[in-house]
Amino acid sequence: MIEYKNIHKEYQGVSVINNINFKINNGEFVVLIGPSGCGKTTTLKMLNRLIKIDSGEIYIDNKNIMEVDIENLRRNIGYVIQQIGLFPNMTIEENICVVPKLLKWDKDKCNNRVHELLSMVSMPYEQYAKKYPKELSGGQQQRIGVLRAIAAKPPIILMDEPFGALDPITRDILQDEVKDLQKKLNLTVIFVTHDMDEAIKLADTIIFMDKGDILQIASPEEMLRAPANEIISEFMGKRGNFLDAENMACSDLMRTPVFTIKDDKKTLECIEIMKKRQIDSLIVVDKAGIFQGVVTIESIRSKGKAGEKINSLISKDFPTVLQDDVGKTAFDLLMDKKYDYVIVLTRDNSVVGIITKSSLAKALASVVWGEM
Amino acid sequence: MQYFFSTYGQMLLKAVFTHFYYVLISVSIGFCIALLLGILLSRIPKYSKIIIPIISIFQTIPGIVFIGILFIYIGMVPTTVIIALSIYAIFPILKNTYVGICEVPEPYKEAARGCGMSQFQILTRVELPIALPTIISGLRMSTVYTVSWAVLAAMIGLGGLGEFIYRGVGTNNNILIIAGAIPAAIMAICLGLLIDYVQKLVTPRGLREENSK
Ligand SMILES: Nc1ncnc2c1ncn2[C@@H]1O[C@H](COP(=O)(O)OP(=O)(O)O)[C@@H](O)[C@H]1O
Ligand SMILES: [Mg+2]
Repeated sequence: MIEYKNIHKEYQGVSVINNINFKINNGEFVVLIGPSGCGKTTTLKMLNRLIKIDSGEIYIDNKNIMEVDIENLRRNIGYVIQQIGLFPNMTIEENICVVPKLLKWDKDKCNNRVHELLSMVSMPYEQYAKKYPKELSGGQQQRIGVLRAIAAKPPIILMDEPFGALDPITRDILQDEVKDLQKKLNLTVIFVTHDMDEAIKLADTIIFMDKGDILQIASPEEMLRAPANEIISEFMGKRGNFLDAENMACSDLMRTPVFTIKDDKKTLECIEIMKKRQIDSLIVVDKAGIFQGVVTIESIRSKGKAGEKINSLISKDFPTVLQDDVGKTAFDLLMDKKYDYVIVLTRDNSVVGIITKSSLAKALASVVWGEM
Repeated sequence: MQYFFSTYGQMLLKAVFTHFYYVLISVSIGFCIALLLGILLSRIPKYSKIIIPIISIFQTIPGIVFIGILFIYIGMVPTTVIIALSIYAIFPILKNTYVGICEVPEPYKEAARGCGMSQFQILTRVELPIALPTIISGLRMSTVYTVSWAVLAAMIGLGGLGEFIYRGVGTNNNILIIAGAIPAAIMAICLGLLIDYVQKLVTPRGLREENSK
């Protein structure tokens, strides 16, 4: 259990955290949310002592963190930052093993752990272990960032806007992965975000902060139903329309706008775009905007030649639905697990959107809880 | 030509070796001192902002003056040359070490701290490896400069390629000047290339520029 007691912090006489108190149970996923500058990062970083506490105490399992050796404390708390911060001079394998090595695990144990972790996120060891961070897409890098944090099996993980810099599709996928890991490993997670959708999707408990105070601590459902005050309800904003489950079509579940590329692009150009947008696949359309298929980074890497057009690499083998199809169609395709998203088409085959697990969850949640 | 080599060949060879010896020893000493100082200064960036410009003023004292002064105190021994050259070799490496370490982006340092590394572990596992390419370009600069500064050794009669140059200037013999200058230039270029090669060798793929695209 983690317990913040009367925590206070000020910079140059200006108070930024005002005597806050809260408790977190083991295995709980807690999201700190609030407007920029409200003190989320400060609150988070006091736990692994990257920021000094001015007054008050923090206890982990009834032990005051100031009485624990600082390096030991940090080695037992995973830490993921928005800028990812994988060490560029180390391979993926070395990055994952940073903390196990500090804890003096032997070679075999480290090696086994890397295999185990990479397979958990479906990144084959042979393909990725010896790569360097900049040879991966942003999404893959942050996946490794998460693995580095959990490598030494710490019971607690801190994440400071870890997916803030990723594109929506990748962000969605990583959110699902993190939630899965958290449940499977029964981790206690403190996660900072300023995105209410992200908080609702991930949190067991949301802590809403403003100007260094805690305004509300509640489950997502509770916070949606009964926001403690104006600031919170405003923050949650107006989202979506009230729908009823029977009549939901795929177009009600999808996310728009969707990014597409023309089919006469060259392979290198596509790789550049994927890197820049930090995604692993691109939806291809022809000049008239008609859906042609999908190119993945794997197919370009394995079959593509530099300078060649992507025509021959486009795969039609990707789930699509029509926008008027019943929502269940998309749901079944997604639960098949093989694909991270489903492409939504109009009757004349132009691309209008994509459906991901979280766009689906959000739409369904709006039915259950009303306005979201 | 034939005549030149039969008269001066032996002497030229010896001069090249002496010259190389001065460069090697001074740069090695300078490198060790500079690396240590650079690391120390990077721990106290507030003071370093003042200290480094002061050290750089030293660098502007002409070599002749400096060797001259040391000569008065220490005498006509190779130590005089080596001390002077070492001191001159320090600055480019020192500055690059300091800058290289200070420019390591904050997220890497924060991640390292968050992982539970000690100050020393952060230095050796994160800061120095990331700063290494910068440190080595400092080493390259120092080495190339030292090859030309080592010419001054001849000024106090301690040999090296400078001897040819001084003698050539004294007797108005252009061939002698060239016989000193060309090997010195070649030595500077070769050492530069050697260091470039070493730099490639020790820079992990993840830090190389060309595949950063
Ligand atoms: N090193 C610092 N010096 C002075 N003020 C700071 C410092 N770090 C943070 N602050 C201030 O503390 C407040 C809270 O910051 P932070 O916890 O980073 O906010 P959040 O993560 O919620 O955006 C902000 O007003 C910020 O300007
Ligand atoms: Mg912040």
